[in-house]
Amino acid sequence: MNSVGEACTELKREYDQCFNRWFAEKFLKGESDGDPCGQLFKRYQLCVQKAIKEKDIPIEGLEFMGPSKGKTENSS
Amino acid sequence: HPWETVTTAAMQKYPNPMNPSVVGVDVLARHIDPSGKLHSHRLLSTEWGIPSIVKSLIGTCRTKTYVQEHSVVDPVKKTMELKSSNISFTNLVSVDERLVYKPHPHNPNKTILTQEAIISVKGVSLSSYLEGLMANTISSNANKGREALEWVINRLNAEIEEFAASARGTMRSSMAAAAFVEK
Repeated sequence: MNSVGEACTELKREYDQCFNRWFAEKFLKGESDGDPCGQLFKRYQLCVQKAIKEKDIPIEGLEFMGPSKGKTENSS
Repeated sequence: HPWETVTTAAMQKYPNPMNPSVVGVDVLARHIDPSGKLHSHRLLSTEWGIPSIVKSLIGTCRTKTYVQEHSVVDPVKKTMELKSSNISFTNLVSVDERLVYKPHPHNPNKTILTQEAIISVKGVSLSSYLEGLMANTISSNANKGREALEWVINRLNAEIEEFAASARGTMRSSMAAAAFVEK
């Protein structure tokens, strides 16, 4: 599956693989002690944010948040 | 299928042959809230195969439509809720969907899905006919959605089988090699 930004597809795949494994093996079993995919997510996110700006996709009311535990205040 | 299987498949729903128009999926934001629920905001890009004459009128860079999806997974209560709405450049029709996956109360090997869609149509000429048409499409899509998850679950199981088979093969050949060296 591709990313909205063609350049981000590889980063997306790496992150997805990490996330899917963590989700099925840890999170659903109640072990949500931190997300090991943080670094991969950050790199992938930077790429996606750029692509969305470039393509002018109107996403409303969304704050780009990292994979952190608990609510954090962020401005987009 | 048990709730865990369905939820794992739902997170990896695309690509699948029942939804060929979905061409891109991206995670915009993800976090675990103080009560332990996982929130994900995703962007789905869809390409509807618009006829080329229409493309030349509206310009080829605008043939994609986008859907924004917010999902919440509660691993303790075992619920997964998905809310999606389309981001439409024309804003004539908007569709908001809400899906909730929960374990079957009497059978832990089954999952119950409740699905609702809210169709909003702007403009006087867009009448009940169009709304009826969309409602039909949405209910047949609900079936398609179930089939899509079945397909993903089968694919995931096949991948696990393949991995286990190659692991067994590797073990056998390294055991054979070890036995050979011993002799």
